[in-house]
Amino acid sequence: MKEKLDLLPGSLDLLVLHTLASMGPMHGYGIARRIEQVGADTLILNQGTIYAALVRLLQRKWIEAEWGTSENYRRARYYSITARGKRQLASETETWQRMADLVKRVLDAAL
Amino acid sequence: MNLPTFLDRLFARICAVFDSRRLDADLDEELSHHLQALVDDNIKSGMEPDEALRHARVTLGGVAQLREIHREARGIAWFEQWQRDLHYAFRLFRREKGFTAVAVIIVAIGVSLNTTVFSLVNTVLLRPMPFAQADRLVWITNGDPHAPLSGATSSIDTWEGLQEMSRSMDRIEGYSPFSVLQTFRLTGKGDPETISSVTVSHGLFGMLGVQPQLGRLFLPEDALKNAPFRVVLTHRLWLRRFGADPGIVGGTVQINDAPAEVIGVLPAADPFSSVFFPAVPVDFYSAVQNDIMRGDGNTLFLIGRMKPAITQGQVEADLPLAIAQIKKKYPSRGQYMAAVGEPLHDWVAGGLRKPLIFLWVSAGFVLAIVGFNLGGLLLARGGSRRREMALRMALGASRGRIIVQLLTECLGLVAAGSLLGGIVSWGFNGLLSTRAAVEIPLLQYLRLDGTSLAYTVALCLTTAIICGVALAWKLSGGWQMQNPLNEGSKGTSGGPGRSRTRNILVILEVALAFSLAVSATLMVTSLRNLLKVDLGFRPADLVAVRVDPPVQASQAAYIESALDRVRALPGVLQAGATDCIPVERDRSWPLYPVVPDKPNDQRWQGAHVRIVSPGLIRAMGTSLLSGRDFERSDEKGPPVIIVNKTLATHMWPTSEAVGHQVHFPPPIGGDNGVTMTVIGVAGDVLSAGPEQPAGGEFYLTLGQFTYSASWDLMVRTKLPVAVLTAGMRQTLGSLDPNLALTKAREMQSIVDRTLSSRRLLASLIGGFAAVAIGLCLLGLYGVVSYMVAQQTREIGIRMALGADAAGIQRDILGKTLALALCGLGIGLCGSVLSGFLLRSLLYGVSPNDATVFALAGASLLACAIGAGYLPARRASQVDPAVALRAE
Repeated sequence: MKEKLDLLPGSLDLLVLHTLASMGPMHGYGIARRIEQVGADTLILNQGTIYAALVRLLQRKWIEAEWGTSENYRRARYYSITARGKRQLASETETWQRMADLVKRVLDAAL
Repeated sequence: MNLPTFLDRLFARICAVFDSRRLDADLDEELSHHLQALVDDNIKSGMEPDEALRHARVTLGGVAQLREIHREARGIAWFEQWQRDLHYAFRLFRREKGFTAVAVIIVAIGVSLNTTVFSLVNTVLLRPMPFAQADRLVWITNGDPHAPLSGATSSIDTWEGLQEMSRSMDRIEGYSPFSVLQTFRLTGKGDPETISSVTVSHGLFGMLGVQPQLGRLFLPEDALKNAPFRVVLTHRLWLRRFGADPGIVGGTVQINDAPAEVIGVLPAADPFSSVFFPAVPVDFYSAVQNDIMRGDGNTLFLIGRMKPAITQGQVEADLPLAIAQIKKKYPSRGQYMAAVGEPLHDWVAGGLRKPLIFLWVSAGFVLAIVGFNLGGLLLARGGSRRREMALRMALGASRGRIIVQLLTECLGLVAAGSLLGGIVSWGFNGLLSTRAAVEIPLLQYLRLDGTSLAYTVALCLTTAIICGVALAWKLSGGWQMQNPLNEGSKGTSGGPGRSRTRNILVILEVALAFSLAVSATLMVTSLRNLLKVDLGFRPADLVAVRVDPPVQASQAAYIESALDRVRALPGVLQAGATDCIPVERDRSWPLYPVVPDKPNDQRWQGAHVRIVSPGLIRAMGTSLLSGRDFERSDEKGPPVIIVNKTLATHMWPTSEAVGHQVHFPPPIGGDNGVTMTVIGVAGDVLSAGPEQPAGGEFYLTLGQFTYSASWDLMVRTKLPVAVLTAGMRQTLGSLDPNLALTKAREMQSIVDRTLSSRRLLASLIGGFAAVAIGLCLLGLYGVVSYMVAQQTREIGIRMALGADAAGIQRDILGKTLALALCGLGIGLCGSVLSGFLLRSLLYGVSPNDATVFALAGASLLACAIGAGYLPARRASQVDPAVALRAE
């Protein structure tokens, strides 16, 4: 079995934004589970750290939060992406992909 | 990240710091929801409940740690860290109450002194005066601003001429400094009372921006020759005499048995009198009536306001030009006029600049001593915390974190001390501002304002940072040289670097305290020298009782019969009357000696004039060097005069003055002047106080003058003032039932008032020195005690080997004295410097006076011995067996 990956700094915020953009409003547990599902076995996610990422995004007004009731009838906080967050996601996704392409090209050429 | 996003996040972070509790609760709720959801899922996938919970906890992560990460992400980490440091510091302070109390009190002493002195400096020197456009006001004198009053003031003619001719001045107003010495009898409802007033030009208050509390101020029509007598009451008279009755405005009061119309009342804060007449209680103001005062010679001090965009230099050039034009246009006004302008603030505060700045520097010295002392205390306490620091660093705390932690503790101590000091200073300010007898302008305006508070905060921060950083550097760095974790065995005694630092600190304390002690001794010696100066009269056992004869009475007859009755009172040794108390009143008249064969040789000069009753010179205790005193029979005889020694030698250097004649030009003595024969020569009186040399003086007798004035009965008696006035009221009641006799003063207090600001300065510097020596004592005691504690083992060994207790004691005391002597050596240089700064404030003592230095040095050495004695005794009582076993 391959060794699991730690997230690169800043990438958790991007993943959270993307999840909210594609899945609509979700609570913290939902976001964490979704990211783990997509990442399958390749990712180590200390699920609690998602809340630090959420507060950072909230403070930048890229997402908003609202208290609601979860599927099992408990009080939970639902997050949703804002217009500003969508713009940020678009630009960051592009940057990220350009960076990944660049790294891939350099590494491919080296051999 | 763009700017709005950045600002949103910054704002949110700042808010988060203050909303921590709510945010933490929210997070806790989310985490518990998360945990519960995990547990539910785990159970669904078939785990046992226990296993499910354990697994969920692992997946989520530690709650405490998550909370920490969350806080760091949402808030300002260093601020919250700092809050925790502060919290920790307060826990420490609660544990070490003794140390905390001493540190806080030391800081409070330093801060309260500095804040008070700064408030004084700020009030008198820095802050603009409480007048409208204060920076544009100019003080205009008749040539030499430091001349006696009659030479420095200007005449009505000069004033009107300047108003007409000056092109740099917007307005010129004035007041009569002589008017304040004239008193009036206030009769009507209630007991008769003696009150004083100042005569001001009708526009003066308007120019200065003084507003009435009730009614109005003076108008041009109040200055006309036939205007009714109108007065503006001060707040204190209104309160005291009229019970703050607003109906008084528009009514009349009886002043000198004539009705005076009250047109207004001033507010409680009277900037005019607090600037120009500190220490004089002014009761009312009246308006200058130009045509009535025109013949009185120089009577006015002038204050001008510069036109906009005019500079001080242009004023200085313009005023002499204006004077030249006046002389050309109105030759009849005489040639003896001049005009010199200087910024009003310079004139008001100029004399206090040096003493106040010196005081400021001295207060700074005290603060430095406080800082060194606090540094020493913190270092000593730091000794017991080295292990704590080393442990924290070993566990990964950075040096920066430790420095911030120690700095926070230091700041907490200093802030508490500063707060206490600020409160004490507030009290000091209140106390000083009500010292009505101290002649410091604006003293009533002394208070803790924003500037003083900002200064205090700056002082507090500087002290904390200097002490804290030095301490933290020492403590957090020391562990690298030797590992304090191993120090438990006390094999080595303390860090050598740390005790060296403490020695240096205490040496500096001694040095600063020594130079303060020298300054204080110099100031106190000067004051004592001044108090010993022979004034030419004996102020002790002399009482001045103010009497304002009824206007219609014959002044001479009234005063003579009053004197006869007073002299008959039991306990009265001598009595006389004068219109001019030396030290208090400054007035000169021109006169010249008559040279029989050269009638046109009129080399006149100004000299102090006192109009007196027969017997006054003797009652004052002034010696009569030759000739005779006035007699009652002189009233009907030819005009006679008594001159003082200085005037006599000046006018007739080679011959005896008695028998010569002097002449007074008009208006004195009528339109042709008057010629008088010298009948006596009196000893010199220092009429401007002990610091000024004697000038020319002469005495005229009241019997030969039809002159309406306020008189002081100078009574030589050992009776208390109250007993004397009670007796006088009884015996004078039949002569004049309306006599007030409410202004009876000891001559000594009048003399003391001229020394009041010097006395205040000397007592402040003396207080500073006492505080400094006290702090030094504490500092030395701390260092020596620490030394003894560190060397207990060594002392134990020495005693076990046969050293005697006396030898140990001598040794410790010797080390204490060595520290003190090092300090004295350094302090010597500082003292020479501060003596140099002080030299213009000294009287009769050289700034390098050996006795002063010896005295100050001896007091510090005595303090060193005092500080070393207890630890030395403790050292000599060390039981070798106990000391060695304790290790």
